[in-house]
Amino acid sequence: MKRDTQAVLLAAGCGLALAVLALGPFGGGLGPLLLALSCWVALLQGCVAVAATCDLVKARWIGPIRSRLLAPTPLLLLSAPLFLLFWPQLQHYPWSAGGGRYLHPEFFMLRNLAALLLTAVVALAYAAAASRKQLLAVVYLLLFVVCQSLIAFDWIMSLEYPWYSSMLGFYFITEALYAGLAVACLLFWRRLRAADPADAQARERLRDLTSLIFGFCILWGGLFFAQYLLIWYGNLPEETGFILRRTGTAPYRQMAWLMLGCTFMIPFLGLLSARVKSSPAAAAGISLVILGGLLLERLLYILPVLTLAPLATLAQFFLLGAPVLFAWRRRAAGGAGES
Amino acid sequence: MARTYRYAEQEEFMDKLRELLQSGVGKEQLQLYTPYHLPEVEQLLALPPGRLRLFPLIGGLGGFFGGLALTVYTALSWPLITGGKPIVSLPPFLIIAYLLTILFGSLASFAGFLLLARLPELDNLLDPGEFSNYFIIVVAGERP
Amino acid sequence: MKSLAAREKLEQDVLKGLRRPGKWYLLGLACCALLFLGALGLWGYQLSRGLGVTGLMHPVGWGVYITNFVFWVGIAHSGTLISAVLFLFRARFRSSFNRAAEAMTIFALMVAGLFPLIHLGRVWIFYYLFPYPSQRTLWPNFRSPLVWDVFAISTYMIVSLVFFYLGTLPDLAIARRRLSGIRARIYSVLSLGWTGSHGQWKQYGRLYLFLAAFATPLVASVHSIVSWDFAVSILPGWHTTIFAPYFVAGAILSGTAMVIILVVPLRRALQLQPYISIDHFEAIAKILLLTSLIVSYAYLVEYGLAFYGHNQFEMELFRYRALGHYRALFWLMIVCNSLVPLTLFIRRLRRNLAYLFAVSLLVTLGMWVERFVLIVTSLAHDFDPYAWGTYTPSWVEIGITCGSFGLFFMLFLIFVKTVPVLSMSELKERL
Repeated sequence: MKRDTQAVLLAAGCGLALAVLALGPFGGGLGPLLLALSCWVALLQGCVAVAATCDLVKARWIGPIRSRLLAPTPLLLLSAPLFLLFWPQLQHYPWSAGGGRYLHPEFFMLRNLAALLLTAVVALAYAAAASRKQLLAVVYLLLFVVCQSLIAFDWIMSLEYPWYSSMLGFYFITEALYAGLAVACLLFWRRLRAADPADAQARERLRDLTSLIFGFCILWGGLFFAQYLLIWYGNLPEETGFILRRTGTAPYRQMAWLMLGCTFMIPFLGLLSARVKSSPAAAAGISLVILGGLLLERLLYILPVLTLAPLATLAQFFLLGAPVLFAWRRRAAGGAGES
Repeated sequence: MARTYRYAEQEEFMDKLRELLQSGVGKEQLQLYTPYHLPEVEQLLALPPGRLRLFPLIGGLGGFFGGLALTVYTALSWPLITGGKPIVSLPPFLIIAYLLTILFGSLASFAGFLLLARLPELDNLLDPGEFSNYFIIVVAGERP
Repeated sequence: MKSLAAREKLEQDVLKGLRRPGKWYLLGLACCALLFLGALGLWGYQLSRGLGVTGLMHPVGWGVYITNFVFWVGIAHSGTLISAVLFLFRARFRSSFNRAAEAMTIFALMVAGLFPLIHLGRVWIFYYLFPYPSQRTLWPNFRSPLVWDVFAISTYMIVSLVFFYLGTLPDLAIARRRLSGIRARIYSVLSLGWTGSHGQWKQYGRLYLFLAAFATPLVASVHSIVSWDFAVSILPGWHTTIFAPYFVAGAILSGTAMVIILVVPLRRALQLQPYISIDHFEAIAKILLLTSLIVSYAYLVEYGLAFYGHNQFEMELFRYRALGHYRALFWLMIVCNSLVPLTLFIRRLRRNLAYLFAVSLLVTLGMWVERFVLIVTSLAHDFDPYAWGTYTPSWVEIGITCGSFGLFFMLFLIFVKTVPVLSMSELKERL
């Protein structure tokens, strides 16, 4: 009980601090907030989506860590109020001068707010549900798809308006799931470290999870390639600008390669080996690399368009991350005895 | 002399197999026939993972680099620019390399399978041993 | 209880399908063969008179033949999905469908492979597409998506064949034991002397896993590559990045529908009800529903983003698709692919085989129409209003299309009488 109160206080405090920081003179504009919110929302929603999908297909591997994976779900409720902080800073979007009926400031705020709120509420209901779990899982997944698509098309893609790529929504959905799986792998590692090292069954399930991560790694690579190839092949000036800005000049070029290495090449080569697949520590290491790669990719979307003041960015990222990490820590500490 | 045990049920077969292994029968003396794939048997016999995994690896790598080499070599051997693309255009060439990875990886695995499972058995192709619905254990005689 | 009697009964039930064919079977086979022969005749006619006998004319240079190609490649996909992807996910219901679905993959690919040849016109020089050192000292252009297709389809065909053959190996050995005469000899040779020793099973299990692991990314990439035939161009409605996942989902949607169309009558005719349960159909129906949702999502995104970027060519093309000359087909496709499958959210309908069969027919129709709309409207209505036009398929094209269905069903009927339609050695694990 006491720890629950702690968690709520921490979340509220961090949220408030973030709001004050973002609105204040040292907030650094839209960039830091956009980065922090898009990353953590994707991560949390991805975790819930992984659990929901596993429920629907009756996957067994998730058993040992399901409750931990869902532990920070209530924090999704923070996403909607924090998204309101976008409102005074919409002028950073290139379409704010006139983006037509769809990219209209009020409509932009309303639909995203609604999507975030609904997703959070259903996620919460799903995480707490004892009955009708399947139905809630289906509803949640539909909302998850909508919410991540909006994050992709509205929050991120419209930074480059009028550039567009119709795959981006699908891509973000995949990335959120990919991140959710990576988190699941980290939770497995924690559990296996604490539990009996000869816990054969949990190990077997870890292998299922790492195979799934391997599959998602290939899927991610395929989607990345599919988008790149079409823009490269079409060679249209209005499309290639997006890629050139991210691969043409010094810091971005190296970042892009690093991102590709972290999200695709390292996990792919690493997980080819059966030994890595069944070693909790190695798998957790690869998961961390994947999460780092996904973070780098978000940076690559935002950095060429918006300024990211280092201190403000770090502060906002960790203010949002702290309650999430706390929720996992708390679960791990409190739930060591569960099976 | 070889002894043969024949069972209708999987459980009896597994029990007997466990019993035989515990009584000190070596796994190289055992020849088992089952009507379907039983991964438990492999665990029980503690069979090594085997060399089959080398085949897809070698085939796949060969396919990948072979595909790259083929596309790059042929593009360079007649350097004609089409569609404003560079002569050596890696993105499309990667597609060919990728497909050949899968093609040669699969074919190599199949070849490896035939090799390691000793199929086809030419000697008894027309009159092979029975593939029946029974679980059969054949224990070869004690070695001198 | 995995009892001996159940295994014996399974073998008898499944191998019953290999008995001497009945009247209705022969009649069906004859009809399909006639359709196919008719199409061959029409192709001969087209070869002698040239491509002018089709409705293809500027600006629409790709019509029903390419539609058929994409359609049949798509049909092939769910076979691999069921045999490889569901194997990796250890979905047990796959063993009710996998043999029929794998056979379907191969036949659909055979049919699909014919259409680029028919579309070529001068089919006798098709081998220019293959890379070999020739007197012309010219190699194929690997930057061309059409050459990617050649590689993708042939790879897919070969890997599917290997996969199919491997899966049948133990079953051919069972057929060898249960049948007699010349047939026993043929199955005996085909089963390569399989005895079911633990050494053989061990390699078999590993190879099955490897092939499944290879086939899974392959199935996603083949239809992606087919989609790039269109998407690497700069035509409005074709040049859009979502094409790869969208085509793959569409392929699995149509293929799953075709599996249902094939297996529902098969189950009835061969009395396989004990082995293919309603639960398994329900699981397949869920795949149908899921892919239908993905396809609808892709429609929505494609449409939304055409208007998002305020690109006038994109906007005009998508307006034309929904309201222009081919609007009836467009709305038919929306109804069949997006709306009708939504009814499968209702559990009772999912478990009703007659209803499922009807939905599958509609989805198959809808997916064919989708490819037609997608291919033709973009060509008919590109950047320059002076170059706009329409296309109507000629009777030769329609006849060849019908013949392709004839060929497909003919091959499937032959399969039913020559190969055990259920994977017996796999079902025995489940008994």
